[in-house]
Amino acid sequence: MEELSIVGKPITRVDSKEKVTGEAIYGYDLVLPNMLYGKVVFSTRPHARIKRIHTEKARRYPGVAAVITGKDAPWTHGESVKDKPFLAQDKVRYVGEPVAAVAAEDEDAAQAAAALIEVEYEDLPAYFSPEEACKPGAVSIHQEFGSYRKMEFIVTSPTMPNVCEHFKLRTGEVEKGFRQSDLILEERYSVPIIQHSAMEPHSSHAQVDPETGRVTIWVANDAPFRALHEMAEALRLPKEMIRFVNPLQGGGFGSKGGLKVEPLAVALAYHTKGRPVRVKFNREETFISTLTRHEAVANIKSGVKKDGELLAREMRLFWGAGAYAEKSPTVCIRGSLPAPGPYRIPHVKVDGYAVYTNKPVAGSYRGYGIPQGAWACEQHMDELAKRLGLDPLEFRLKNVYVDGDVSYWGEKLHSVGLKETLLKAAEAIEWGKKISRVEGFKSLRVGKGLACISKPTRTPTTSAAGVLVDSKGEVAVLAGTVEIGQGSNTILSQVAAEELKVPMDKVRMAPLDTDVIPFDASTTSSRSTYHMGNAVRRAAIDAREKLAEMASPMLEARKEDLAFSDGRVFLKDHPQMGIPIGDVIRRKLGTSGVLRGAGSYTYEIGKDLDLETGHSDHASAFYMYATQAAEVAVDEETGRVRLLRMSAAHDVGKAINPLNCVAQIEGGLAMGIGSALHEELVIDEKGKARNPSFLDYHLVTSLDLPKMIPIIVECPEPEGPYGAKGLGEPGLAPTPAAIGNAVADALGIRIYDLPLTPERVYWAIEGKKKSG
Amino acid sequence: MDVPAHRLLLDLLRDEIGLTGTKEGCGTGDCGACTVFLDGKPVNSCLILSGELDGAEIVTIEGLKIGPELHPIQRAFIQDGGAQCGYCTPGMLMMSKALLDENPNPTEEEIRFALSGNLCRCTGYVKIVRAVQDAAAELRRLGADLTPARITSTNMTGSNSWKS
Repeated sequence: MEELSIVGKPITRVDSKEKVTGEAIYGYDLVLPNMLYGKVVFSTRPHARIKRIHTEKARRYPGVAAVITGKDAPWTHGESVKDKPFLAQDKVRYVGEPVAAVAAEDEDAAQAAAALIEVEYEDLPAYFSPEEACKPGAVSIHQEFGSYRKMEFIVTSPTMPNVCEHFKLRTGEVEKGFRQSDLILEERYSVPIIQHSAMEPHSSHAQVDPETGRVTIWVANDAPFRALHEMAEALRLPKEMIRFVNPLQGGGFGSKGGLKVEPLAVALAYHTKGRPVRVKFNREETFISTLTRHEAVANIKSGVKKDGELLAREMRLFWGAGAYAEKSPTVCIRGSLPAPGPYRIPHVKVDGYAVYTNKPVAGSYRGYGIPQGAWACEQHMDELAKRLGLDPLEFRLKNVYVDGDVSYWGEKLHSVGLKETLLKAAEAIEWGKKISRVEGFKSLRVGKGLACISKPTRTPTTSAAGVLVDSKGEVAVLAGTVEIGQGSNTILSQVAAEELKVPMDKVRMAPLDTDVIPFDASTTSSRSTYHMGNAVRRAAIDAREKLAEMASPMLEARKEDLAFSDGRVFLKDHPQMGIPIGDVIRRKLGTSGVLRGAGSYTYEIGKDLDLETGHSDHASAFYMYATQAAEVAVDEETGRVRLLRMSAAHDVGKAINPLNCVAQIEGGLAMGIGSALHEELVIDEKGKARNPSFLDYHLVTSLDLPKMIPIIVECPEPEGPYGAKGLGEPGLAPTPAAIGNAVADALGIRIYDLPLTPERVYWAIEGKKKSG
Repeated sequence: MDVPAHRLLLDLLRDEIGLTGTKEGCGTGDCGACTVFLDGKPVNSCLILSGELDGAEIVTIEGLKIGPELHPIQRAFIQDGGAQCGYCTPGMLMMSKALLDENPNPTEEEIRFALSGNLCRCTGYVKIVRAVQDAAAELRRLGADLTPARITSTNMTGSNSWKS
């Protein structure tokens, strides 16, 4: 392969300067001329019929331009099930559901008017756990479910009306596997609701052109083309009637895809005679009314031989979808599929149920269902190892996937860097070296643990890109990937610079506007470096080929004899004979001439899973592999888990930017640590969030983190650009299980529920003392 | 400019003056994204009412640059990758400056303590802490040559009215 000059280098981010000066304009900062200010009234009941909404006082409030309720916005949306109204229609299904909205001349008036709206409710029975909502006789939260428009892959349950997706995996015969096993173990694990807590709260701006009816939405959305599609379907408008413009996004982690605040801004904008409307959610509203991560219950049963060979695994997972389906069906599918872990197991049976409850809406969250499955599976693996008298690392090494294995969903695997991640993560915390006490601290018990995962990406999907090269030799990249903090603008600039052989400072990313930027499926699922990286690479190669064609007569040389470097095209054998690429364009196309290159990428052989067996021979364009290992000191007197050090080894295929890879690993790890030790959005028995603020919802601070040891493993993916896979999501996926295993190693106590708060650990210790 | 006394400093800066570099993350004083200097001390601008600002001097992120040049703290955040999504960055920078004004040679623990009220969801803080360490070293190297940050400030005189 040709030597790489920009790809693979630890280049500093291209978007830092505007961020350190405060010049960067985020969605939350955006001010439009003549705009109105929106405020939303939220449901205070978890499940109720709306008897009446009193809006008269609000309408009379000075400065109010519009007051709307469900009847003024008769639309519903949803990615896979069209179940979510823009504003509640006759019924509310969770505390935090938008019921009415106001647009006014300023924030004060909007807020004051919204406070004057009164809603009369008639309460209905509510469900606050997915298992409860699945019990026989449970009342349907969506009586209308049968009539909703939905995607063809949705499988429902004839006996459980609140199930909005039932995923099935069937491989071999689990009962036979259990009969052949020397040891059978059955356990139940659970994960609570957590919230993304991107530092920028949610907001959206919208405007409806009164002449043409065209709808423009300004929003920091991580998948503008998908959002456009969903909005078009909801409003029953042709797609060209809708435009999404993306200001900068202050983090997302899965919370800013789909439609969140957009429907409210659009609903108001239909009633403001062409004036744009801004709707900003404050932090509390962001907590309860945008998105959360699924609470989940995982029942897991395994059969193993004495020597540690895995024979059978059966799992039943209940995913709490909250009040609306959102992305729950696909989280359920793609989270349940690999939940039995990255292991060779001949007999596997999985049932995953996404279940409506009367809690805030759950959906995509960095990791897309993998963390919940891993919390169960990876701790279960340690419990099996303990009973077999095997070292947890050895037990995993014996069973993990390697190149050439056929997975239990029927796919022949390649580029599997899992073993290397296991060995490196373990080595980084001196796996074999056991210390159980800390000198001078009688109550501290030390332990080590590790956990590994594999993660698929959304498949099949498409990314398209363009590059424009002008007569100054400057390059603009047109790509629908959203810079959400992950560093995609830097990575894609590197790819374009590498292929066009121009310096990094000659490349810039075009702003994202769906009217002019080519299609991209989404900035999700750790798919961008691979898919958009390939698309940008192809677009840049296309432009380079065209440049070579144009330069060939100018240099009186054949195309094949030309080479590119440092913004010049020249004769391979006589590098001094050459011209700057900008001059090529100027001479051929004029000073204002622009050369266009185009490229797109689709993982063509990607196949949907079989609905009965969950099988697919190409379920994912690539797989990400990771192992994390933790060393903890647990205080037996207080139950506090103190992290001493954590390693994180991630197979990225090829690190296009090692600095950025490390940044992703560190950030993911920190997020995983928060979810392991203290994060939980507590919903009380009336469906109300008890801690929707950063005071009460404990995010990781600079004081909460151990020494972190990021490790990059490169097991190249042949289809990926330069061998790259993805990285964004796995950073937090094995973290809680690795810590849970370390805690169990320290105390000899397994804790089945997250988070590992001092209180929970303390009571587990007390419980063990009592039971002896 | 006439401003109601109950208007928060944060909203005053962002909505009335148009300085959106100061970010709103929570509005309740828990995240530090809106940190500005009030009479030389770092404060959460979402907790300050305009009515408290009689005669006060405010410095925001827009004033951190030294003339046209980036402040060494800003340069260090770029170099070390201290900003990812960048939304917490202005607050982080202001709090870092406050620390380094008082303590030119902080230990890692002192940096972590000083920044513990500034939440970041992207970085895991590693690169932020390193950036502050690097900025501290650079500031010490520059020593007295560095002009004190005489930066654009908005002065307030009289009650509830702004002059810029």
